[in-house]
Amino acid sequence: MRRTARLLTGTALAVAAAGLLTAPVYAAGGASLEVFPSSAVPGGQVTVNAAGCAGGTAAGDAGSVGAGVFTLAPSAHENEAIGQFRVPSSAQPGTYEIVAKCAEGGRPIKGDLTVAPAEARGQAPRGSVKTGVGGALGPDPVQTAAGVAALAVAAAGGTWLLHRRARGDGI
Amino acid sequence: MRRISNTAIGAVTVIALCSGAWLLGTDTGAQAPPQPSAAQARTGKGGEPPAAPALPPSPPDRIRIPSIRVDAPLMGLALTPSGSLDVPPAAQKNLAGWYEAGTTPGERGTAVVAGHVDNSRGPAVFYDLGALQKGSRIEVARRDGSTALFAVDAVEVYDARHFPDAKVYGAAARPELRVITCGGGYSRSTGYKGNVVVFAHLTGSR
Repeated sequence: MRRTARLLTGTALAVAAAGLLTAPVYAAGGASLEVFPSSAVPGGQVTVNAAGCAGGTAAGDAGSVGAGVFTLAPSAHENEAIGQFRVPSSAQPGTYEIVAKCAEGGRPIKGDLTVAPAEARGQAPRGSVKTGVGGALGPDPVQTAAGVAALAVAAAGGTWLLHRRARGDGI
Repeated sequence: MRRISNTAIGAVTVIALCSGAWLLGTDTGAQAPPQPSAAQARTGKGGEPPAAPALPPSPPDRIRIPSIRVDAPLMGLALTPSGSLDVPPAAQKNLAGWYEAGTTPGERGTAVVAGHVDNSRGPAVFYDLGALQKGSRIEVARRDGSTALFAVDAVEVYDARHFPDAKVYGAAARPELRVITCGGGYSRSTGYKGNVVVFAHLTGSR
């Protein structure tokens, strides 16, 4: 029993680690349900985006995770409904299917929510960030090349004139 | 009769000489990116101003900082194997990123946004970040249609060798935002020596 529990926790941790990035889940018919974050902790709030709902409203069902039904209202984007629910604090780690049904009918669209153990929330970054290479400093190579080319033309012109004078052509 | 007169050659020579001198003379490149002054540092006294009530979590789409003319899309960022925050592709100069596994901007806690100060071709999205001042407004447009509004509390520059992780990335009791780019001096061998970090808190939404 204890080994099973440990195995389950380990699996949930692995799934949580793999699923920390938002993963849009596509269903048939071009409609898709995006669950954000795709990996939530018990007590955390989850946002659900349903793309492809012509009316812009939908009915959501998070009963699998014990959060009951919720409403998706039209969002800032056309044909996209957005809704939210809270993962119950008592939710067990695991993967749950979230379902939404567009108001104008059609097939229900589904997305997965992973509930991670409470302590598994994204670990904070460490250290400095490599956000520059120094390209804003130092001379512009194009301008340098243009300047050198112009000076080369000037040198050639000057040499030509001196050459004519040496030949006695007069200036 | 010569086909090309001395006058023509002379004129071309003088014009080429002048433009060559001008091109090389003005070719000092762009200035080094602006760095925050001591006046923009954290004061540490008086406590933190209260922030607006936290917004529900929603991933961000864009960041706008009107005072330094920033308006850039945001991509999700993960961590590098060493645990530091990854960065957006350097080739796209008007692109910033946010730490996707962390707090979303507007939510209670510390949300982290990072972007390049420059790339190999010149200044990039957060070139002017070090010129921000306390009170400057930062807007984050979110996927739920709301825009989280932040006010700058401090602009600091930290050396990479002594980076204050807890201060920059540590948990916050109110909705806060960090905006990070490179800075703190430049050396040809090791690149930028540290990071400019902007600290901001949520003031409202629309």
